This record gives sequence, C-alpha cells and structure tokens, in this order.
Amino acid sequence: MINRRKFIQKAALAAGASITAPYILPSGRLFAQTGLAMADHVVFVLFAGGVRQQEAIYQRYLADSQGVDIEGNVLYNMLPGEGPDIKIVYGVDTADGQPGGQPIDRILSTPLSEQGTLFPELRYSGGGTGHYGGLSTGVSGYYGTTQGLQQRPLHPTIFEYLRRHRGSKATDIWFIGNGIGGSTPLLNHSEYAGYGSRYGANFFAPTVTFGYEGERHLKGFKCYHPEEELDPVRQMRAFLNQNFLRQGQAIPNLNNTEEEKEDIKAFIKSTFERLENNEIAFPPVTDNGDLATVGFTTEVLRWFKPQLTVVNMNSVDTCHSSFTGYLKALHRGDHAIGHLWNFIQTQVPEMAGNTALIVMPEHGRNLQHNSIMDENDWFSFDHDSDENSRRIFAMMAGPGIDANLRVGSEANPIGDAADIVPTIAQILGIKSDVINAGLLNGNARSLFDRI
Amino acid sequence: MRHQLIILLLSLLSVLACKEKSYVYDVNEVAIGTNNGDKNKLKSNEQFLSILYANMFQKAISPTEMAALASLIRSIGDKQIAYETLVARFMADGAVAIPSDAEMRGDLAAFITATYKRFYVRLPSQAEKTYWVNYLSSRPNITAELVYLAFATSDEYYFY
Repeated sequence: MINRRKFIQKAALAAGASITAPYILPSGRLFAQTGLAMADHVVFVLFAGGVRQQEAIYQRYLADSQGVDIEGNVLYNMLPGEGPDIKIVYGVDTADGQPGGQPIDRILSTPLSEQGTLFPELRYSGGGTGHYGGLSTGVSGYYGTTQGLQQRPLHPTIFEYLRRHRGSKATDIWFIGNGIGGSTPLLNHSEYAGYGSRYGANFFAPTVTFGYEGERHLKGFKCYHPEEELDPVRQMRAFLNQNFLRQGQAIPNLNNTEEEKEDIKAFIKSTFERLENNEIAFPPVTDNGDLATVGFTTEVLRWFKPQLTVVNMNSVDTCHSSFTGYLKALHRGDHAIGHLWNFIQTQVPEMAGNTALIVMPEHGRNLQHNSIMDENDWFSFDHDSDENSRRIFAMMAGPGIDANLRVGSEANPIGDAADIVPTIAQILGIKSDVINAGLLNGNARSLFDRI
Repeated sequence: MRHQLIILLLSLLSVLACKEKSYVYDVNEVAIGTNNGDKNKLKSNEQFLSILYANMFQKAISPTEMAALASLIRSIGDKQIAYETLVARFMADGAVAIPSDAEMRGDLAAFITATYKRFYVRLPSQAEKTYWVNYLSSRPNITAELVYLAFATSDEYYFY
C-alpha cells in the first residue's frame, strides 16, 4: 500500500525544488524567483481583542487604569521588564488557592522585541475600532469603512495576494481562528474581482473542529483506501459532475488539489489521534481559548510548514467586564507567543531560522473606563474609537529583521495597522505585486520602509 | 341528352377524384427536463446538513445536532473537505441506512433509480442508468457505500 503522506511529502519536496525556476502563476503570468524574499515562512499573530498600550508596551499594570500605583510587565516573553511586585492576579492559582497569584514561567530567555524590531506606537487610523474591522484591516491592509459583519473583507487579503502573485499552494497558506463567532471564518478571503475563494487561505477554528463538536461528530470518520476505494469514488463522481450542467453557480472551495484535500483530511485524523494521546504541543499552561488555539496551531506548523500562518486570539476582550480577566488574558497571550516562537525554533527544523514572526493587536481600548467593576473592584474598559483605542504596537523578529531596534515613540508614532500586509509581502518577496495592485489603504507601507 | 350525360359523368368523376384518405397525427405526452432537474441554487449549510442527514439516516436531524454540525462546517475553511469528512463520519456510524451490496447487485437498475431519487430527487436518464449498470456490472468490488459516497459529495447534491 502506498503511504499517501510520504507521497505527498515527496511531491511537495519536488514542487519546492522546482520553485527556483520560473513558472506560470495561476494569474497566467510568469513568476521568477526574485531572491528578495527575506524568509520562507511568516507567522502573524493577531494579538486581538483590544489591547491598551498602558498595560502592554508601557507596563503600567494598575497605575493608568485603577488609580493604584502599581506598575510592572505582564508580557515578559515579548518585552523586557520585571513583573509587578504586589497585587499579582494575572497568573495561575497558587498552591494555597490565591487566584492568579503565581505568574506563568517565562519561556523566552530574550524577549521577542529584543530579538527583533519593536514599533511601540502604531495607529489604527481608519474606521471604527471594532474587532472584525480591525482583523479585516490586519489581513487586507485596507480600512473598509463600510465593512459589515457577515461580509467578507472588502479588499483582497494577504492570503490571496500570496496565492495569486507568489503561486502559493492552498496548503501553504493558513488562517487559524480562535472560534467561529464574529464572522471570523469569513476572513480567509475576500470576494474582490480577480481574487476571491480560489486564492483563499485554508482555515480551521481548531477549538471547534477538534473541540466538543468535533470529538462528538467528526472524530472517527472513515478513511478510505486511496486506490481501491477513493479512485472509483472519484471516477463515479466525475461522471456525476460531468452530467451536472451548472448554471454559472460556483461550489465554494479554496482550490485545494485532490492531494491537498486528502492531506488535510489526514491532518484532521492525525490531530484527533494526537489529541487523544496527549501528543499536541499545547503551551505549558493552557487554560483559555487563545492558548488552545495556539496549541493546535503548532500542529498546523508541524504538518504543513506553511509559508504564511495567521493566528487570531481574542481573550483580552473580556476587558469589557473584567479587568482582572483582561490582565490574565494579556499574560496568557504573551505565554502563547513565547511558546509559538520557541516551538518554531526548536520543533520544526524546516522553519527554524527561516521564519519571521509578527505580532500586532487589531486595535486598542479606551482611555476612560466604563462603569463595570470586577471581583477586585477594578473598572473595565470598552473600545469605541477614542484616540486611545487607535493606539497599538507591532513587533517582528526573524531573518533580516534588525534586533533590539525600537522605531517610534509615544511622542512620535510610526506605523499603521494597514502596514502589516505590505510588510509580510516584503518578507515573502511580493511587495511590488501587492503595492502595484493598488488595493491597500493609501497610507499603507511596509514597516521596513518606515525604519 | 348526350350533354347531360357528359356533365353528370364529369360531376361524378370530380366528386370521386376529390375524395382522399385523411390522416390524423398525434404525439404521446412526455415530460421534458434537463439532466440536472434545473437545480441552480446552492444549498445553505443548514439545508445541506438537513438533507444529507435525512438521506443517510432516513430520519430528521435534531436541532441540537444541526447546531453542532453547522458549527463544525463553519470551523473548516474548505467546505468540500468539511462535507466530505462529515459524510465519511456518517459512513462510520452503524445507524447509516445503506442497502446491502447483495441488494444493490440483485437489481442494479432499481438501485440506481432509487439512489437518484434519494440524493438528487429525480429519475436517472436512460443514458445515466445505462452507464451505471455497465459500470457497476464490470466492477464487482464497488460497494453501495462507495456509490453513496460519490453521490453525497457530487456537485449536483450541493444544489437544489
């Protein structure tokens, strides 16, 4: 019996070997490797849900929010700086039962911002500071001021740019969502003319696919023999499809090849098995949805070694009603990023030293609190487009990215939320294609061009 | 008198000459339709799941199960992969209602007709029926399950 996985891996290697030669893109034109790519892989973590600069970059802990003069860094995998000394609520419960009293152990010996470049003050400059608009801007580089929920991004996404202009396979491009709420599953492609689903990213919301619903309704699906069973099924289906005269209607799909489809099914099956055998590399502490999502993301990286992986988190949004929960989620988001970067460098040889990691919240949160108080009598914060909610940060590390560089300051903001798409495009060697498409926000520039 | 006889004879001839057999042609009434039964609307996730479940288990899906399955489908980007995997999961369920291979091979034509009605809600054309009978006759290893798998993941099944 042919080992399908090995066959696919060999085919992928052959495809990879041929990538150095010019080839015809799906768009019909010739693509020649320019040699300008800075890395073969990019992982972009949308540290989403709405993060205030005060508790993140400026490490003010309770000082700028609750009128309590306690400062400290809760993101110590990402930023240098010591944690708060007192009022520790953001960790895991202590042995004697103090809620959140034990900070989670640091993973990275050198914080990510020191391994790479930090833009401490970007601006989310257009549109309202809503989650979906922010996420959509993050993946499309365009502020869709008329962007609605239940509507795909108005302009093409970085996923589509890569598949169309770089010729990336569907399984080279992944969007991992933290769930299926808030229209998240719609972010993997736009419906823009000339782009759209055939250039979209593969998508999983793994806490659903492999969570309660998946365990109950998907796990244990039958795997058919590739030649003895699936080949005749394909023959029969081809006859049925040939007889079906479609009247201009498209069946939704991402243009995965038959081999890629079978590979994804094999991945799903393997992930259920590895989950059952406790083999998935979840972060050392995995007690919220963001950490579980990042744990499953490591499986996607290990299996597919994608060119681009975008991961979406959002647990910090609990800040609408719980500042304590927000601090915990911030700390866990940092833990997730430390784990992810460490996993890439130590567990995926094909990606180690050859991957750029970018981190950016989709938008910030208000300067003024709302009236809701949590269990510690601390006020909560919304995000409704005040100036503070337009303040965000970005950091990136990897090959060709300057280490220990800080670009901009509170008094001198540099960069924009729409910059990430051209930045990724530059790292992967298609910046001019993306710029020339003319579909980014007018102010969008690669972050490298802002240094 | 002679003229009268000639006129009478000509009149008689003209009457006889005009008489001819009249034929009335008719056609049998037949229903004319396209192969795809005019299906041009894509099923929603919920429509697809509800119909698939009914076709596979011969009973209606519960609201709870529908919600869970709809969530699952949304959690996977490529809907074809999502649906194909779900069909494969149904196939692993002992309650799935598939004819035995003996039943299928006992009357291939009847099996094919029933399968078209079950999945496509239409009768097969004569050409389709002939293809299937020939195809299945020449491939004794193909099971009813594989035929169902092909129908449940075919393009026409996504439309109504």
